[in-house]
Amino acid sequence: MLRGRDSSITKRLTRMNILVSGAALLIAGAAFVGYDWVSFREAMVHNLSIQAQIAGSNSVSALLFNDPQSAENTLSALKAAPNIVSAGIYTLDGQPFATYSRDATGHLLTLPAIPPGQIEGHGFKDGQLVVVRKIVFEGKPTSIVYIRSDLNEMNHRLKRYAVIAAIVLAASLIAALLVASIFQRAVAEPIVHLAEIARIVSSDKNYSLRATPTGNRDEPDILIHAFNDMLSQIQQRDDALRDAHRELEERVEARTAQLAAANKELERQNREVERATQLKSQFLASMSHELRTPLNAIIGFSDLLAEKIAGQLTDKQERFVGHVRDGARHLLQLINDILDLSKIESGLLELRRETFSVSEAMPEVLSVIRPLAMAKKIRIEDAEETFSVSADRVRFKQILYNLLSNALKFTPEGGRVRVEGSSNGSLVCISVSDTGVGIRPEDQQLIFEEFRQAGETTRGVKEGTGLGLAITKRLVERQGGTIRVTSELGKGSCFSFTLPAGRAASQVQPEISPKACAVDPLEEGRKPLVLVVDDEPPARELLASYLEGEGYTVTTVGSGAEAVEKACQLRPDAITLDILMPGGSGFGTLSELKKTAETAHIPIIVVSVVDQKEMAFTLGAADYLVKPVQKSVLLAALRKHLRTTSGPANNILVVDDDSETLDVVSETLRSVGYTPHAISSGQEALELLSKVHMDAILLDLMMPEMDGFEVLRKIKDSPELSEIPVFVLTAKDLTETESRLLKQEVHALFRKDTSWKADLLAQLRKAVGKPALAKSVGQS
Amino acid sequence: MQVRSSRGTCKGTSLSALASRHRGCLSYLMALVVLGALIGTPLLYPQSSPTEYQVKAAYLYNFGKFVEWPTGVTASESSFNICVLGQDPFSSTFGTTIAGESIKGKNVLIKRIPRAQDAVGCHILFVSSSEEARLKEILAALDKTSVLTVSDMPQFTRRGGMIQFVTEANRVRFEVNLTNAERTGLTLSSQLLKVAISVRKSS
Repeated sequence: MLRGRDSSITKRLTRMNILVSGAALLIAGAAFVGYDWVSFREAMVHNLSIQAQIAGSNSVSALLFNDPQSAENTLSALKAAPNIVSAGIYTLDGQPFATYSRDATGHLLTLPAIPPGQIEGHGFKDGQLVVVRKIVFEGKPTSIVYIRSDLNEMNHRLKRYAVIAAIVLAASLIAALLVASIFQRAVAEPIVHLAEIARIVSSDKNYSLRATPTGNRDEPDILIHAFNDMLSQIQQRDDALRDAHRELEERVEARTAQLAAANKELERQNREVERATQLKSQFLASMSHELRTPLNAIIGFSDLLAEKIAGQLTDKQERFVGHVRDGARHLLQLINDILDLSKIESGLLELRRETFSVSEAMPEVLSVIRPLAMAKKIRIEDAEETFSVSADRVRFKQILYNLLSNALKFTPEGGRVRVEGSSNGSLVCISVSDTGVGIRPEDQQLIFEEFRQAGETTRGVKEGTGLGLAITKRLVERQGGTIRVTSELGKGSCFSFTLPAGRAASQVQPEISPKACAVDPLEEGRKPLVLVVDDEPPARELLASYLEGEGYTVTTVGSGAEAVEKACQLRPDAITLDILMPGGSGFGTLSELKKTAETAHIPIIVVSVVDQKEMAFTLGAADYLVKPVQKSVLLAALRKHLRTTSGPANNILVVDDDSETLDVVSETLRSVGYTPHAISSGQEALELLSKVHMDAILLDLMMPEMDGFEVLRKIKDSPELSEIPVFVLTAKDLTETESRLLKQEVHALFRKDTSWKADLLAQLRKAVGKPALAKSVGQS
Repeated sequence: MQVRSSRGTCKGTSLSALASRHRGCLSYLMALVVLGALIGTPLLYPQSSPTEYQVKAAYLYNFGKFVEWPTGVTASESSFNICVLGQDPFSSTFGTTIAGESIKGKNVLIKRIPRAQDAVGCHILFVSSSEEARLKEILAALDKTSVLTVSDMPQFTRRGGMIQFVTEANRVRFEVNLTNAERTGLTLSSQLLKVAISVRKSS
C-alpha cells in the first residue's frame, strides 16, 4: 500500500525539506561565519592595536632617551604572541628605531598609511594583518609602532568553523530528513494512498473500492472523503446504468419475441392473403370462363343465324337476331372490361412488355376502327409513325382502340378523328383528337373513373360500358405512362398518353429481305403470278410496283367481273382483291371466285380500306389486309399463302367440354367446308386421335378430368400426333407461363371473348389448307 | 628667567622649543638622537647634530615626564621649573631646546639659581659640575624638598644625587639612585628606570 518511496510527491517533499533546511543552514552558517570572520578581524585588529599601543607606550622612554636596545627588549615581549610575525617602532619621520621579527626575516618596508586625523591604521595584505599605531605620550605623538601578524589563527578558526558548519549541516539535514519522513507520513501518505486507489479504480473499473480516511480533519482527509463520495455516486450511477441496460435488454428480448410472434402472424396473414389472391385469381378465371362460354354460344349462334346459314330469316327475325347479337356483344365487352378492371385493381394483370414499332400496331387497330368510322362518315387521319414503344403489344392496341372508338363514339357524322405520335427518345406520346362534342372542364377528370360517362345529357350518346377510359388510364399508368385530356366543349377533345420509348433497333424488324422473297415461290424458275384487283389505278399501280420489284408477275384488273374472267383465264397463284369497288362489292367477286372450281383454290388476299374480315374469311378469303397496306405486310401474306399446300384437309378435331361451344365451332367449320369431329373430353379426344387421322385439332383448355394442357402434352409426346397442328380456343385468362408454353406448342391461340371466328378460319386455312370445295358446298 | 620663544625663533638648525601640536625643534633634535641610535655607531654628532648639552637639556625635559612629584611646594607651582645651579653649561641651549614646552600641563621655566636654598619650587635641579665641591651642602639643603637632582659630575648618584648623566661611547646615558629619589617622595617611572644604565638602590 505504501509506495511512498517511489512516489513523486514524497520525493518532492523530501527534496523540498532538504533544500529548505539546507538553504537555511547554509545561509545561517554563511552569516555566522561571515560575522565571525568580520568580528575576528576586528578583534585581531583591536588586539594588535592594543599590543602596538602597549609596545609603543613601553618604548616611549626608550625612544625619548634614545635606547633602542630597551625598545627592542620591549618588542621582544611580543614573542608571547606566536601570530605576530614582526613589529617595529619608527620615529615620527619614518625612521626605524627598534624592530622585532619572529623569525628574523620579513621586514616590512612599506607601512599602511594612517588615515588623517586618526592615530591608527591597519591593512590586510598577503595573508597578513599590519596594524600601525601612532604613540602619543603626554599629548604628543612620539613614535609610530607597527605590528605585523599572520592570519593563521583566523584561518584555523575559519577552517574549524567550516568543519563545524559541515557537521552541523549534515546533522541538520539528517534531522530534516527524519522530520520530513515523519511529515511525509502525515501529508504524502494519504495522497499517495489516494492516488493508488484512484489508479486501481481507473484501471479495474471497480467502483466499490474506498480510500481510507486519515482521521485528521485536514485537507487530504477532505479530499479522500470527497473522492469516496464521488466513487459512491459513480457506483450508484453505474448500478443504475447496469439496471437500465438489463431492463433494456429484457425489453429488447420481449420486443423481439413480440416481433417474432407478429412476424409469424404476418406470415400467416400473408399466406392467407396469398391464398385469397389465389382464390380471387381462380375466381376471376372461372368467372371469365363461366361468363364467356354461354355468351360465346349466344354470339356464335346469333352470328350463324344472321349469316342465314340455318336458313332464311324474315326481316323481323333478322332484326331480332341483330339485337341479340349486339346485346350479346355489348355484354361480352362489358364482362371483358370488368374482368380487366378487376384484374388491374387486384394486381393480377400480367403485362408482357416488348419493344415493337408503333407503325406495326397502328394498322391493326385502324383496320378495326376504319369500318366503324366509315359507317359514321368520319374521316380517320393518321401519320406514319416510325418510332418504337416498350409496352405490352396487346394492351397497347387495347389503349389505342379504346381511345379511337371513344373518339368515334362522341364525334358526330362527318367529323374527323386524328391520331398522331411523337417521341422524345425516352417517351413516346400518342394523341387521339376528335372534332366531337368535347368535355366540360369539370368532367375532364371524372371520365377516367369507372362507370362515369361525363355529361350524358351533353353528349347525348349512351354507348359503351363506361369502363373503357378507366381501363385505358390504368393500362397506361401500369406501363409507366400518363394520360391526359384537353377539351373544349363543342369543339372536340384530345386524349394523349405517353409510354416508355422502345429501342430504335426494333423498327427494322418487320422488313423482309427481298432475296428471301424471290426464292420463296413453289416452283423454281417460274415467277408467281398475282392478279391485282382494284378500281383505283394508283392503288393498282402501287400494289403492282410492290410485287414486281419482288419477283412476282403482276396482272391488274379494275373490276370484279374482269377479275373473275382473268382468274379463270390465267389461273394466277394469288389474287389481291379490293372490296369497295363501283359496280359490285368485292365480296361478290370473292364469293364467285371461290364458287368457281377453277379459281377456288387460288388464295385471295383482300386489300381494302374497310375491315370486314369476318365476312371475307367466311367467304373464303385467305387473308385480309387493311389499306393502306405496307409492302412488308403484303409480301409476308403472299409468301405465306403461296407456300401452303393444298390438299384434302378436312378432318378437324374439336375438343370442348361445353356442348354449345362445340356446336358453334362445329357449325362454323362445317360452314366453310371442314369436317369437324366434336369431342367433349380429353380422354375421348385422345382415343379418337389414335383411330382417325386428323388434319388439325381445336382444343379447349379448361375441361374436367383431363384439361387441355394435358391433352396437348400427350399429343406432342406422341410421334404420330406431334405433327398435327393444334389450335387453342379458350375463355381462360392465361398466365405468362401458360401463354409461353402454348406459344411453343400451339399453332394459334384464340380467345372466346374476342371475335375468334374469322381468325380461326384464316389460321386453319394457313395450317391445313382450304377445305374441299365440293364438300364445303355439300355441307352448306 | 623665562625663555619664551615664538615660532619665529625655531628656524633652520636652531633648537628652539616646539609648539605643542607641531613638530618643534625638540622633535627635530630628538629625531637626530634617534637617528644616531639607529645607525648604531657611537653617538656621533655631526656638524648639524645636537651638542652634548643640547641632548642633556632634552633629557632634563624628558625626565619631567617620567617622574611624579608628591603634593607640596612644587606641586603648587604654576609652572614647571627646571633650575640650574652653578655654572650654566647649557648657556643658551635651553632657549633653543625646550623653550615653550610644557610638562603636566605647566609651562616649562628655566631658572638659574645661585644657591641651593633658592631651589625651593624647582621640580628639577641640574647641579653643575662647578658645584662639585659644595655638593654635600647642596644636597643637605635639599634634603627636605622634593626636587629631582640631576648632574653630570662623577659619582653623583653615589654621593646622594638622584640621576647622573654618563657619556658612554659618545652616547649620553644616565644612572639612577632610586633610594635617593624615593626618599624625597618622588616616584620614578619604571619606564625611566628601564632605560637607565643602572639603578642604584641603597638602603
